[in-house]
Amino acid sequence: MATYILRRMLLMIPTFIGITFICFAVMRFVPGGPVEQAIMQYKAAMMGGGGGEVASGGSSNSTGEVSAEMVEELKRIYGFDKPFHIAYLDWFFKVIQFDLGESYSYQRPVWDVISSRFPVSMFFGGIGFVLSYLVCVPLGVMKATKHGQGFDWASSILVFIGYSIPGWAAGIVLLVIFGGGSYYNVFPLGGMQSMNYHDLDFWGKVGDKFHHAVLPVFCYMMGSFATTTVLMKNSLMENLGQDYVRTAFAKGLSEKKAIFKHALRNSLIPLATGLGHFFSFLLAGSYLIEKVFDIHGMGLLSFESLISRDYPVTLGILVISSILALIGNLLSDLIYAMVDPRIRFK
Amino acid sequence: MTDADLLIILVVLSLHDGLRLGAQRLFYNILQNGPELLWNGLVFLVRSPLLLPDFYRAVVGYFQSPIFKRRADKFRSLKRGYYSFLMITGLYVLSFFLPLLVTDVAWYVRYEGQSYFPVVRSFAGYYLGNVINFKSSYFESDFGLEGDAPVKYRSLKRNFEEQKSNNKVVLAPYPYSPNESNLDEYEARPPHKPDRTHWFGTDDRGRDVFARMLYGFQISMTFALIVTFLSYLIGVSVGGYLGYYGGMFDIVVQRIVEIWSAIPFLFAVMIVVSIVKTNHMMVLLIFLLAAFGWMGMTYYIRGEFLREKAKDYVAAAISIGVKDTTIIFRHILPNALTPVISFMPFAIVGNISALVSLDFLGFGLPVPTPSWGELLNQGREYLKSYWLVFAPLGGLFTTLMLVSFIGEAVREAFDPKQYSRLR
Repeated sequence: MATYILRRMLLMIPTFIGITFICFAVMRFVPGGPVEQAIMQYKAAMMGGGGGEVASGGSSNSTGEVSAEMVEELKRIYGFDKPFHIAYLDWFFKVIQFDLGESYSYQRPVWDVISSRFPVSMFFGGIGFVLSYLVCVPLGVMKATKHGQGFDWASSILVFIGYSIPGWAAGIVLLVIFGGGSYYNVFPLGGMQSMNYHDLDFWGKVGDKFHHAVLPVFCYMMGSFATTTVLMKNSLMENLGQDYVRTAFAKGLSEKKAIFKHALRNSLIPLATGLGHFFSFLLAGSYLIEKVFDIHGMGLLSFESLISRDYPVTLGILVISSILALIGNLLSDLIYAMVDPRIRFK
Repeated sequence: MTDADLLIILVVLSLHDGLRLGAQRLFYNILQNGPELLWNGLVFLVRSPLLLPDFYRAVVGYFQSPIFKRRADKFRSLKRGYYSFLMITGLYVLSFFLPLLVTDVAWYVRYEGQSYFPVVRSFAGYYLGNVINFKSSYFESDFGLEGDAPVKYRSLKRNFEEQKSNNKVVLAPYPYSPNESNLDEYEARPPHKPDRTHWFGTDDRGRDVFARMLYGFQISMTFALIVTFLSYLIGVSVGGYLGYYGGMFDIVVQRIVEIWSAIPFLFAVMIVVSIVKTNHMMVLLIFLLAAFGWMGMTYYIRGEFLREKAKDYVAAAISIGVKDTTIIFRHILPNALTPVISFMPFAIVGNISALVSLDFLGFGLPVPTPSWGELLNQGREYLKSYWLVFAPLGGLFTTLMLVSFIGEAVREAFDPKQYSRLR
């Protein structure tokens, strides 16, 4: 098993290099990259009478033309003065030491900025993930055991609704209905906590957090509700049709025992593999849900970094979420191999 | 960790049996197959635009096969999916006549004894305006008004009615265009509540929400269909080559596919959209979504090809010296298109959602294109204006629901696996 993990880890290295290469190349070769953006911003600022924010000082004449020195200065700041491969290698060796550069808009190291958002995304993503399994697994089992009956049919409507409305869009509807817009004023509009959070006692704080978390967590759940429930149901249905379950019934086991002791254990395998993507689900958050509810997590950070053209942060998030996806793949395979003895490590 | 530690670890690792053998095999393979590998890649790149007729023939061949006919009959017998299919096809075809049905341009104007059909010109202008140059709208001076702006037919109609002359205006069934501001009809500030003239109210610039919702349907569907088509084109050809050639080519390209799929696709699209400035945003978005969306199909097509490759008809074709490309596209592909058909509805659902998400975040189609995502974004801002949320969501929900009904039925008809359905 150790050999298997080691081999998989080693295979991740070339993939990781490939990912960083593509991320870096995208930022560097897409026309209108950071340097041109900065020049344009500078020009606009000069035209507009010198207002506006410019990424760097530097010399320029008053007609709004950007001098050659200024362009050089900008290129140096953004690392464009070096040839591509050297710039890439420089950046790559910094990345593997967790040095992702310095954020333009926060004036702090990118790693600090990103990791300060981890707990927020983790809070919502984690609760949503756990709850969605807690709801979907029993529901899927119920649907499979009552296949074709009224309950199955009625819950299928829910599944189709969940599949046809993206979680974040449902979030806006929930805000309209419960956020005090048009109908009821039950839940806050967004954010993590109330203005008077620090004056509350312990239970007040817990209640306040909970109050703010209900709607976003519901949206996180809704995102995976349909697929997880159906996966559970179909996987159990498939196992219920197998010979070993028929044998279990034939030797006189009760339905409960046959389903829960025999069939259910095997049908949980496809769901277990989904656990591998837990981390990317936790950390990467959802740009959309975090934007709808104004939650300052990783998703909103990546959105804001694009708006404010904070390229080091954008690149950092791109690299981190790609790596998380890779680790997720590895974890899925490992969990799969652990829960299913038929799979050998090879 | 010091450098010496690292060195020891590396030595231990490189001495490890499995690893050493693996590395050896890798190097041998590269040495042996490297030139062929490069050659195949080059051939593929050069030929890819020339493959369209082959694709066409493969799809026609698939549609004519008896197995497809049997499955299509089965699909037709699944009423819910079949009627959803008819409904969405009908709605989509109908949506091409939107510039005729939902527009501020009048159908018929009778002025000083002469007849005009302004909507014909505007309809032609909507689709051909960029291609050929012609007078796509009438101007105020044409109908005896002062000024030379395009005619506002609703006020022209009021004018004619006040004059009580023989002049006449017949408006379209729903006489509002998606990009036209109706601020002059209201005293309050937009967005305005739904009323008898504007069925779903107006948005933050006084534009008619009902019209924008309908045009949004046409744009979303067109967009999703094109993206799905393009990404399947890439996915099917890459998957076909991988499955057919196998070996080192397969291993290397699969690694590339893995790298490509590890990149978070929505974020990557957002990055490129935020940087690139272009006048053809729709083309860029289609290209980007196809470029990040083709990987899923390669796995299925690769599997199909691995299975088909072992069959006798392929061996027969090889033995009489048929070219590889011909075998791939003319012989195997018509037999390997089942995953394409059975995943297509779900890919369309995914692409519509992706477009709506991008529009919502502001990285989608340029303003003032009518779009559901943009309306939802306005709804998030004006929470008191519930119609800004419910109208686009209703459209999105209905469309996705119908398409996933189709998907379910297609899967039931085309997938022999019994319990793989959303039921």
